[in-house]
Formats: sequence, C-alpha cells, structure tokens
Amino acid sequence: MSNDFHILPEFCTKKILVLGCGNTLFGDDGFGCAVADYLVEEYEIPSHIYVMDAGTGVRKLLFTLAISEALPDQIIIIDAVDKGRIPGDVFEISLDDVPTEKADDFSMHQAPTSNLAKDLQSRGVGVKVVVCQAEHIPEFMHSVLSEPVCQAVSMAGDRIARQLSLERISGSITYPSSSCLPSQSL
Amino acid sequence: MTKTLTLQPVSRVEGHAKVTIQLDDSGNVHDTRVNVIELRGFEKFCIGRPAEEMPRITTRICGVCPWSHHLASGKANDAVFGVTPPPAGKKLRELCNSIAYMEEHILHFYFLAGADFVMGPDADPAVRNVIGILGKVPDVARKVVRVRHMCAKMLEMIAGKSIHPDAVVPGGFSRPLLPAERDELRKMADECLDLAKFSIAFAKESIFPQYLDTVKSLGVIETGFLGTVTDNGALNLYDGKLRLMSKDGTFVDFEYDKYTDFISEHIEPWSYLKFPYDKRAGAFSMDLNKPNGIYRTNTLARINVCDHIETPLAQAELEEFRKSFGRPAQLTLLYHWARLIELLYNAENAIRLLDDPDITNPETRVTAVPRAARGVGCVEAPRGTLIHDYTTDENGILTNVNLIVGTTHNNAPINMSVNQAAKAVIKDGKYDQGIMNRVEMAIRAYDPCFSCATHRFDGTMPVKIDIYDSRGRIVDTLQN
Repeated sequence: MSNDFHILPEFCTKKILVLGCGNTLFGDDGFGCAVADYLVEEYEIPSHIYVMDAGTGVRKLLFTLAISEALPDQIIIIDAVDKGRIPGDVFEISLDDVPTEKADDFSMHQAPTSNLAKDLQSRGVGVKVVVCQAEHIPEFMHSVLSEPVCQAVSMAGDRIARQLSLERISGSITYPSSSCLPSQSL
Repeated sequence: MTKTLTLQPVSRVEGHAKVTIQLDDSGNVHDTRVNVIELRGFEKFCIGRPAEEMPRITTRICGVCPWSHHLASGKANDAVFGVTPPPAGKKLRELCNSIAYMEEHILHFYFLAGADFVMGPDADPAVRNVIGILGKVPDVARKVVRVRHMCAKMLEMIAGKSIHPDAVVPGGFSRPLLPAERDELRKMADECLDLAKFSIAFAKESIFPQYLDTVKSLGVIETGFLGTVTDNGALNLYDGKLRLMSKDGTFVDFEYDKYTDFISEHIEPWSYLKFPYDKRAGAFSMDLNKPNGIYRTNTLARINVCDHIETPLAQAELEEFRKSFGRPAQLTLLYHWARLIELLYNAENAIRLLDDPDITNPETRVTAVPRAARGVGCVEAPRGTLIHDYTTDENGILTNVNLIVGTTHNNAPINMSVNQAAKAVIKDGKYDQGIMNRVEMAIRAYDPCFSCATHRFDGTMPVKIDIYDSRGRIVDTLQN
C-alpha cells in the first residue's frame, strides 16, 4: 500500500528488524528489551538493520508493518517464555510453538502479536523467534531480571550479532551489560 | 436450569477481559459481569523512585497509549516540582498528543470497531477484521494506511520515537522543533486533515445511516459524563479543568487536584478493577432502571461536556451532532461518531499548533528542582480521563502514587452496557456468533484497553464461551 518512504516511520524502511519484546516492569519478561539494549550498546548497527526495544509496543509496530507494502526481509523477535526448560536457556521457536498462554498476546505486553507475525510470515517475511526460558515472571511489578536470565542477555545478543554479522564496538564494555541492572532496566 | 455463558477473550491488551452472562431458568439474561484483570502493584513499584523517572516508567504500563501516560506523568511532575513549561514545551506536548490521538482514533474506527460496521455485525468472523476492510474498501484503506504511517513518522520526527517516548520531561520538552521539521510536518498535517474530513463524511454517508437502529438500541444506558474543558468551556484534550456532568446536563467544574472531592471508588468483590462514581450521588448503583452515580469518560463524554470546540470544522460537526442527538447524547454507539469529531479536531489542532510561531522556539523546558509536594497531572487519553497523582519527599522521591485510567472510569458503564446489550439480544437461551458479537460491540464502543483483543488479525473472535448449569457443570463450550 504505502511505499512512499519519506512518510514511513524509520523501522518500516529497514531490511532487518530486531525487536526486543516484553514488559520491563515484570521481571524476566523484560529479557527481550535487555537484549535489544545490549546489541545497541555493544555492536555497530548497520543502516539496513533496525534494533529496537519494542517493549510493550510491539503490537503497534507489527500492525503498522502488517498494513504496509514496504516489508522487511526478516524480523527477529526476542522474548521470554516458560517452556519448562532450565532458566536462562536461549533457543529458537517457530511461531507455531509459541506457548498457548502467549499465543495471542505473545508476552506480557498484551497484544495479538503472534497473529500479526504469522501474517507477515505468510507474506514472505522471514520471522525468527529467539526466546529465553524465564525463571520468574512476577504477578506484581518487579523490574529486575533473575540471575540466569540476566546472564543469558549477552549470550542471546552475541548469538544474534553473529547471525547478522555485526561488528562489536571497539572498546565497548562487555557483559554484564548495564541493561541488566535494575536502575537501567526500565 | 440456570446457565452461565462466559466470553473470555484469549488475547488481551491491558489485562484479560472476561464477560460472564448468567441466564435464568427461561434462558433470558439474569445478570452479567465484565471482569478485567489489571496490572497490579504499580503504585507500590513506583514508591521510592525519583519522580522524574515516572514519565519514562509509565510508558511501559501499556503499549497501546504510551503517549497519554507520558504526558499525564510529565504534568504531574510539573506540579510536584512547581514548574510551568515554556509555551514551546507545552505546545510540543499538545502537538504530540493530537498526533497520537489521530493514530489511535484511526486504528479504532477503521480497524477495530470499524470492522463491525463496514463488514456488518453478523458477517463471518473470517472477514470481519482489518483484512476484510482492506478487501472491501481498498481505496479507503489505502488512505488510512498512509496517514497512519504518517502519524507514526510525525511522532518520530518530533520526539525521536513513537514507542515508549521519553521527550516529555519535568518542566517541558527535551528537544526543540526545527523550522525545517515544522515545514515538513505541516504538509503531513494537511493530509491528516484530509483523511479526517473524508472519514466523518464517509461514516455519515455510508456507515452510520445503515446502523441507526442498532445505534439507537445497543448498549444504551443513561449516565453522567466526565471530561476536560478549558476555562471558557471548550473541548481540550491536553489541559484545562475537569467537568463532571449529570445525566440531566447540569455540571460542576473542578481542578484536577480536587478529583477526590468529586469522585469516589466503589469495590465489587468479583472485580479486580474499582468502580469510580460521582461522589455527589451519595451511593453507587449499576441498576439499569435506577443507576446512581455512574458517569462515563472517553469520546462521547468529552463531546457532551464541552460547550464548544475551538476549531471550525469540528465545531460544525458538533453542532450537527447535537442537533440530531441532543446534549448530553446517551446512545452508547455514538462513541464512534464522537470519535470522528475528535479526529477532525485533532487534525485541525495539529495544524493550528504547527502554524503557531511559538512551536519552533528553542526554549522548550525550565529547570525543575526536587521538593516535597503533591502533584496531579491529568490528560484526556483516547480511552478516557487519565489521572496521575504523585507525592514526593524533599528529595523528589515518590512517597505515594495513585493512577486512575480511562478504562477504570468506564468500568461501571461498560458493565451496564453489556448487561443492556445482552438482555436485548439473548432471548430464551438463543445465542450465536452474531449475537455474541453485538455484546462485544457494546464493549468496543468504549475502546477499552482490552478492546483490540476482541478482533484478532487472523479474523477469528478470540472468545471462549462456557455454558454452566446451575450446579456449576459445563454443559456447552463454544470456541473458535
């Protein structure tokens, strides 16, 4: 539909989108956001890639993409899940493997995201979902990642960086990233 | 045998929403309840943090209307620190508010509630969604998509980012707008206005007339209304005073920080969400025949409480609306009509602000120094009046936080409208997908924070209906 690039928000103009999803107010659910922050802090992001802490706004982003003619080649969604594995395990799942409790909202961020992502996938966009096994997603707000999930932030970030051939910023501070610290994790 | 129907959206926006409809022995509606599980622990989470962090933290509450929380929190900070943003800072905030409103109202009218009307409430759920709209009215959809993209771009240009914004700071706005940016935004705002004009004309000609009978019957209740107006009674979505109107049209105006003098909160044991009501009524009742203290917020409320609108095209629409439906207008589905009047107002308001020479003034903020104080910030969020109430110690650390969001104000009226709709469309135990959708339409009119959950992108209704007998046994389950 709209391919008039000057009126498109920046994320709609990129070939590869890396979206860190989740709610940083709910413990390990903030994993995806922390990975996005880590990538931006640690790596040079080339102009055709857009790394974003999409947080609780991912529905809005994916909806905007879903109604657009200008589509990325690939979207990497990063999130936390509970699949009964060892906390801190980082692995990939297909959209069909998204847990039923997140089947429609995909995360604590409350949106029909997996459906939007599936629609984009059906239109030729490569959708990759990188997840981390959460140790604890609290019922009441608490902004600190658990220790194993905090440790997994750099692991997931480095893995994605290798897949995208990103170059580390020279002199950057290696893990633990400030994105894991409570004062920065909002 | 008593049956209970439970409509449970699987997906959610700001919490799960579950509708329970209890039938009596003859299969007619005995009672209904709408349950929303809201985010819990937010106030406690915030206590002990510096107040100036709040505009950034609150955007994480919900990804649906982050700008409203961002702005209300910024205003609460201004009040806590005792500072007044310079004109450019205030106008940039208001400009962002108007653009965010356009983005939200377009989404809701065309892609959420709009599907009920464009495709028809009884249409196959597989097409009663955004895809159906794109196929049925492609030219309209093309315009809508373009302007919606444009709104996101405009926010990005002004504030750096549209998701989880951080441009509003205590005392103003973090960056000035450059003249070249203003010129580019001005052209985009013209296109937004064109779409707004088209939208209300399109709806009045092609949509509303077809469904006037539904508008006159579905979810209809009689209540008071709450909204924000300027000192001279004009509609304003960013700043002013609160006006609480009774259902007879009389009203009282008060400053934001006096809200506890006029609003009380009722608690029901079956709901996580409180039920705010008009304190002057003395008591709370959701009895359809004799409601007491109930008021509504959101579009229809704002259109009802204002004396006039300061932009000419929206004012003309307001006059036409009032000629048809009176003041206050009570029909619940008129929320959609009022939403389009607001869309027009916001498009005009964005142009007005961009034409104001102040908008590019480099002085966008003043210094804020921590102090012990209470501050209340309030804006009209697309979904209703949003109140942030903070108290700090002498170091600016939060010691108390209270938030009332738009959907909470509308908790009682949503329950009442669902009750009315269910009673009207479920007779003798007969129900089907179309009937259930009409009940949901009553909810969607309010555009509550869980509303987008009721239309999944793949076209199915994310609803599970459990039917219980009087002994609590499931006798039927409807699910897609």
